[in-house]
Amino acid sequence: MSKKIGVYICSGCGIGDALDMNALAKVATKEYKVPVCKNDAFLCGRDGVEIIKKDIGDEGVNCVVVAGCSGRVNYDVFDFGPSVVVERVNLRERVAWTQEPGDEDTQAMAEDYLRMTLAKFKNLELPEPFIGEDLSKKILVVGGGLTGMTSALEAAKAGYEVLLVEKEDTLGGWLRKSYKIIPLKAPYTEPEDPGLAGRVKEIESNPRIKVYTGATIEKTSGAPGMFDVVIRQAGGTVSERVGAVVLATGAVPYDPARLEHLGYGSSPNVITQAQMEELSSRGQITRPSDGKAVQKVVFVQCAGSRDRDHLPYCSAACCVESIKQALYVKAKNPEASVYVFYKDIRSSGQYEHLYKKAQTEGVIFVKADITGVTDDGGNLTVEAQDLLMGSPTMADEVDLVVLANGMVPTTAIEDPALAEAARAEAEAAPAKEGQEAPPATEASMVIRSNILNLEYRQGPELPSLKYGFPDSHFICFPYETRRTGIYAAGSVRRPMDMAQAVEDAAGAALKAIQCVEMTARGMAVHPRSGDLSYPDFQMSRCTQCKRCTEECPFGAINEDAKANPLPNPTRCRRCGTCMGACPERIISFKNYSVPMIGNMLKAIEVPEEDEEKPRILIFACENDAIPALDMAGINRLKYSKWVRVIPVRCLGSLNLIWVNDAMSRGIDGVLLMGCKHGDDYQCHFMKGSELAGVRLSKVSETLDRLGLESERVTMTEVSIMDYDKIPKIIGDFAEKLDKLGPNPMKGF
Amino acid sequence: MTEPLKYKTEFAEEIYALENGPYIKKCMQCGMCDVSCATRNEMDFSPRELFMLLRTGKREDFFKANTMWMCSTCLMCKVRCPRGIPLVDVMHDLKSHAIRLGYTDPPQASFYQAFWQEILGRGRVFEGGLMARYYLKRGWSEIRKGFEMRDLGMKMVMHSRIPIKPPKAIRGLKGMRAIIERAQELTQKEGR
Repeated sequence: MSKKIGVYICSGCGIGDALDMNALAKVATKEYKVPVCKNDAFLCGRDGVEIIKKDIGDEGVNCVVVAGCSGRVNYDVFDFGPSVVVERVNLRERVAWTQEPGDEDTQAMAEDYLRMTLAKFKNLELPEPFIGEDLSKKILVVGGGLTGMTSALEAAKAGYEVLLVEKEDTLGGWLRKSYKIIPLKAPYTEPEDPGLAGRVKEIESNPRIKVYTGATIEKTSGAPGMFDVVIRQAGGTVSERVGAVVLATGAVPYDPARLEHLGYGSSPNVITQAQMEELSSRGQITRPSDGKAVQKVVFVQCAGSRDRDHLPYCSAACCVESIKQALYVKAKNPEASVYVFYKDIRSSGQYEHLYKKAQTEGVIFVKADITGVTDDGGNLTVEAQDLLMGSPTMADEVDLVVLANGMVPTTAIEDPALAEAARAEAEAAPAKEGQEAPPATEASMVIRSNILNLEYRQGPELPSLKYGFPDSHFICFPYETRRTGIYAAGSVRRPMDMAQAVEDAAGAALKAIQCVEMTARGMAVHPRSGDLSYPDFQMSRCTQCKRCTEECPFGAINEDAKANPLPNPTRCRRCGTCMGACPERIISFKNYSVPMIGNMLKAIEVPEEDEEKPRILIFACENDAIPALDMAGINRLKYSKWVRVIPVRCLGSLNLIWVNDAMSRGIDGVLLMGCKHGDDYQCHFMKGSELAGVRLSKVSETLDRLGLESERVTMTEVSIMDYDKIPKIIGDFAEKLDKLGPNPMKGF
Repeated sequence: MTEPLKYKTEFAEEIYALENGPYIKKCMQCGMCDVSCATRNEMDFSPRELFMLLRTGKREDFFKANTMWMCSTCLMCKVRCPRGIPLVDVMHDLKSHAIRLGYTDPPQASFYQAFWQEILGRGRVFEGGLMARYYLKRGWSEIRKGFEMRDLGMKMVMHSRIPIKPPKAIRGLKGMRAIIERAQELTQKEGR
């Protein structure tokens, strides 16, 4: 592409008052020999945009530099179609609104920002979308329970072909094993019939849904838009190509055998919620021990859940399920005494109505910690410490104790055979090759649960976020697992009740549809939706170090037969973590690359030491730190005039060569602003900021080699809400650099 | 070690049968009434605790509690209760139920009774009569206490804060009594 650059400098919003427009224009025309450079007082107005459009049409400008406001605003106004590259120089939020107007250092800052943007163009190309071959828009739904069936129906109703795979012989999941389910419609007070037949009929009569029952997934290879799935059914296998996957394999009850302290196993009259459903569907509820009609039932909540020794989390559905069961015990026999021993009743959503209904029906709720369940010839005694009355409490002559034994996601359950095979393989491998064992990778964190059997280098299943649930962020990115194109829904994603599962099913179906549509256009799905760029590997220089394949937070890079990295562009989320990882710097995007950022920082003018004008380089994450910096500008917060900010897609894309370059250029300090990492991370790419931290810990070595203090390069966590702390963060860093003195590399 | 509590329903059913009794079933023990109550510090049991006491079937403790008697009917709890329990009305039901059953130890019970007798007598309240009835109900020790306050009483009389003469009965006293009787009848019938 032959580039013709046009620079358009806006003097509106106070920029003209703070800066010398002519001097700024000279940077473009004299230093960078830009053919077209124009000033306007209101560039985002109709006339301003017309000027640019006219130049694109008449002069053949195809690279537009808009020097004015932040790229986070007016992006629609300055969109000139896919064939024109638009770069924004933020003179407003980052210069005019945060610096002293008319100051020479303010002017220097603005000129540097313009230089940095113009320097980008040397290595900037228009991204061409990657369109995979033989793309499919079919959606595979794994699991034929309530969530899976709903998801399949929702996707089919939206016009997409659906494959529904269920491991059991009939559809239904827990619906099939339930006597009644919790109410799914107003007034949310009466337990409902599962209504399975109607749902199954709807699925069977839908021509877009193909159902595989009694089937498992033997292998899933490929990438979004082109997943090749091998489905094993009745001895044979079927191969299907699908575009996206909805994982709705649900959860299983927590193993009650581990709940001995609550009497399970010591008496047949201590049962689980699932057993209660079975017992109730037979008609009159009777004691398993002797068949006597049940008169007194105790429900024990949090049996295993919210217990450090069992499930540390709340299983979310059991309170509502127990209330439902208590209600139908009362409905079958109004004379029965029903007790619910609870820690906290968590009847979220509309189920407060159900709770209230149970109270008015005479169910007795006791907030207590169970101390023991004993059996005396079929009659049970439940002893507990009453937390509201502050004294021991008990219920005797109990016929039935029902344990609300919580849920465990199917992804958290290891397939014993597969795990054994993997262990044997791991033990055999180093011995065979006579090498050291490979370093523990992400793959070791992936549980072999025999659900999807992915052919991904990072492991056969989905990485877990917490407790084996494969979500990637419960609040910010629901349904998104850490494998692009695979969306978890229902109780496999997080503990939830049936009403939430129905909602989840529709949500995940929409995500899957978004995925197949975006992939068909060669666009990134999430979170950089619409991004057409993708990483390009200059394979001839690859040293097979495998860092990219291991560090990619999404397992996008496999390995080919010759042990070279094998990128899967449709799995990619375009964060650039691979680019930051590559020691050979062979991974680049068309519009984001190591040399491009290198040129940007080389464009910064570094004054001589005796001028006493230090330079601080900030690499700021585009997701949170850049908005925070913009917000600081919007709030007119003043900060150091020595900073120069370079936005990065994610701190994970930070290549250490940039720090090296900055230091050898005489820049006094480098500050990395990224998202919070750790257990409750906020990184949009899960591992990006964490990896940057790890890499940074290694940079001190480089700095020592250069004879520099390692404090000159610091990483800090900034969330979007931290804009008010920006001046202090920058101020403290500037102060620290001041104490260290100027960079001794200046002038070399 | 204290005897373990057992939750039983017989006594609770008795209270649930009162006019506003069914609302008590909905109490979820959140404690919003406790933190809203102006006289909580004076109560043996907070409203929340009283409802729990009810569920454990501790009849004597329940009726001997001063909770309902300390209620100043400020309505804060009723306004705030997330379950919509009209606590003030419940307290009122509990008070009249306690009086009916003869649990009249707290001085407030005597005061309520004296007040109503005054109303029924003439349709108006005469402070002197109210005091006399109250002290007589409370017995000797209280009368002695009242006597100790005679200076204050005299001052109030001199400043016309307490009238010396009882007021005249209202017109239509008979009709008013009939209204009250009918209302009591209705409460008895519908409340159960």
